[in-house]
Amino acid sequence: MNNKQWKQSALLMSLLLFVWIGGSANELPDGDSIAQRINARDEGVSVSRDVKMEMTDKRGKTRIRETSGYRKYYDDEKRTIIIYRSPKNVKDTGFLTFDYADPEKDDDQWLYLPAMRKVRRISASDRGDYFLGTDFSYEDIKLETRVSIKDYTRKTIGEDVVNDHHCLLVEMIPVNETVAKELGYGKAETCVDDSIWIVRRSRIWDVQGNPLKTTINSDIRQVQGIWTVHRMQVENHKTGHQTVFTFRNVDYQAVIDDNVFTKQRLKRGL
Amino acid sequence: MIRTFICCFLIYSSLLAYQGQALELDYSTTIQTRWGINTRNGSTQSLNFRIQPELVFHFDNDIRLTAIARAHSDIIDKIAPGSVIRESYNPASKPLLITHKLELELRELYVETEWDNTWFTVGKQQVVWGKADGLKVLDIVNPQSFREFILEDFDDSRIPLWTVKVERSFGPIDVEFLWLPDQTYHALPESGSTFGFTSSRVVPSRPPADASVDLLLPKRPDRIIRDSDAGIRLTSFWKGWDLTFNYLYQYDNFPVLKQKLSQTTNNIAVTITQLYKRTHVIGTTLSNAFGDWVIRGEIAWFSNRHFLTRSPLSHQGVISSPELLYVVGLDWSAPYDIFASAQLFQSWVIKPKNSMNRDRLDNTLSLLLSRQFLNDTLSIELLVLGNINDGDGMIRPNIEYLYNDDLKVWLGADLFYGDSKGLFGEFKSNDRVVIGMEWVF
Repeated sequence: MNNKQWKQSALLMSLLLFVWIGGSANELPDGDSIAQRINARDEGVSVSRDVKMEMTDKRGKTRIRETSGYRKYYDDEKRTIIIYRSPKNVKDTGFLTFDYADPEKDDDQWLYLPAMRKVRRISASDRGDYFLGTDFSYEDIKLETRVSIKDYTRKTIGEDVVNDHHCLLVEMIPVNETVAKELGYGKAETCVDDSIWIVRRSRIWDVQGNPLKTTINSDIRQVQGIWTVHRMQVENHKTGHQTVFTFRNVDYQAVIDDNVFTKQRLKRGL
Repeated sequence: MIRTFICCFLIYSSLLAYQGQALELDYSTTIQTRWGINTRNGSTQSLNFRIQPELVFHFDNDIRLTAIARAHSDIIDKIAPGSVIRESYNPASKPLLITHKLELELRELYVETEWDNTWFTVGKQQVVWGKADGLKVLDIVNPQSFREFILEDFDDSRIPLWTVKVERSFGPIDVEFLWLPDQTYHALPESGSTFGFTSSRVVPSRPPADASVDLLLPKRPDRIIRDSDAGIRLTSFWKGWDLTFNYLYQYDNFPVLKQKLSQTTNNIAVTITQLYKRTHVIGTTLSNAFGDWVIRGEIAWFSNRHFLTRSPLSHQGVISSPELLYVVGLDWSAPYDIFASAQLFQSWVIKPKNSMNRDRLDNTLSLLLSRQFLNDTLSIELLVLGNINDGDGMIRPNIEYLYNDDLKVWLGADLFYGDSKGLFGEFKSNDRVVIGMEWVF
């Protein structure tokens, strides 16, 4: 048994001991309070970063994209812009989103495709579509490491260990069939690290109940005092396709001008 | 005179570049080849080859210089680079015709810089207005090459112009000002070329059989200041709506074909002149998303358009009138990841005449269906464009596969239907299958 396996065994033993001496799943925080703690976690008012996207199909063929992006909060409204740096066939493609605090209000989203030289408005209900060939949906990209409060009902179903970290298991069910179809998800089971309130693993099923994908967040470390996921890996069980996002040059103290989050900048590039 | 402008541009860009060190150079080359096979007779309609190097210099003083060149050749004579009327180009912007089948072109050369929150883009460039797909309403700042009718991608068919573009934000409103001292207009195909127009909508009515015809070359305006175009666009985002208000003072990119009949001692002589006429264009665009739907709209009022008459004896073969042109489009994110988009284009002649050879109201519909597969490496698309008045149109299925980030291949078809009097139906003998490949490195 190697060191990692020893650690996992020790953690599991601790969990079993915790249950045996009287603890039970009923005393675990409920799903909604876990979601609120995830979303209350400090993400900084703004951030700039580069993301390397590696997409590998089931035959092992890998495509790599380099992007730069900014995100900034305006009270509870979040604005995000992502611009592709390479390769040439997607270079200068841009995505801009305004995510409003009002759950009843649809997000506003725009896509700039350099081949058309036009900024195109896209429907917020496209959120279940895969983002530019990755295995992340537009919704996943928008939420980053947060969770949607309005789209799911949540229930804490137990505990687990992911990469040696204790997690709370939360089952998330879309609030209705329409939302499920929009998201493309019938059920999600997230494993939330209750020491830093970051999702370490998500297992997702499609609307028919078949396993769809698994996301693993790793290389989580503090940057300027803020817990930051530096690696997000998602594997699509239906297609065998896999996407890895690696975050670099994360800076929560970068001064980001408001005019960065405009259609003009989307077209012009960062 | 445009040479003066180009000299100023070169001095300006040199000074800007001189102030800063080149930090980064992006270089890429695109090689594209397309083979078009006529489905009616199995002959090769086009076999073209294009190489397009692109350089982008980033200087440490936030200056960016972009240069794009292109060599284009087609071995089939009637669709070759030399098969367009080249007199519509400003000499300083005209591609260099090496042979009838090979041309070299400086596609774009422009400098971008910011000063005091104002963005300047100066040089030969493309400016894209509007929100319509497939047909143009407000995307009229740059003229277009009709060498392959409207089958080329807009990015390829649009003719870049020497332009000064200035952009600045004033609170919630972004203002874009344009000055275009480049008098280059639509490049129309020569009569007898594969996509040479024959429709009575754009070709003057036939003169009497015994008449002699003298077609004069286009009279292109050439005064750098007085004949330049200028425009302004205001862009805003208001309660979920993307809005623009556009104004352009330009020469209509289509020449006005006037016919003059004269009686000589032996026969009738017809002289056809080609003139470019000024027009004001006032327009607006809007778009918004509602659930699965995105609505797009575009409207343009032209103060002075010209329409051919049925007889050359009437109004010298052409009448003038304001025109109202608009498009309403609906995009639908349909189930199974299908993207569907429908558009209705309408054109109203505001002051019609009975002798006009088109209806007062002209209607064109478009339908686009597309879907991506295999993580966006395989895409299938079907575009249908149809003119309701003439009952003609075209159907364009296409399948494209991205083998890797550097190489894509595609197979498509361009199929025309309808009466030969229509803009689409006139090309029904040109139905083709197209196989293409593009390599980027």
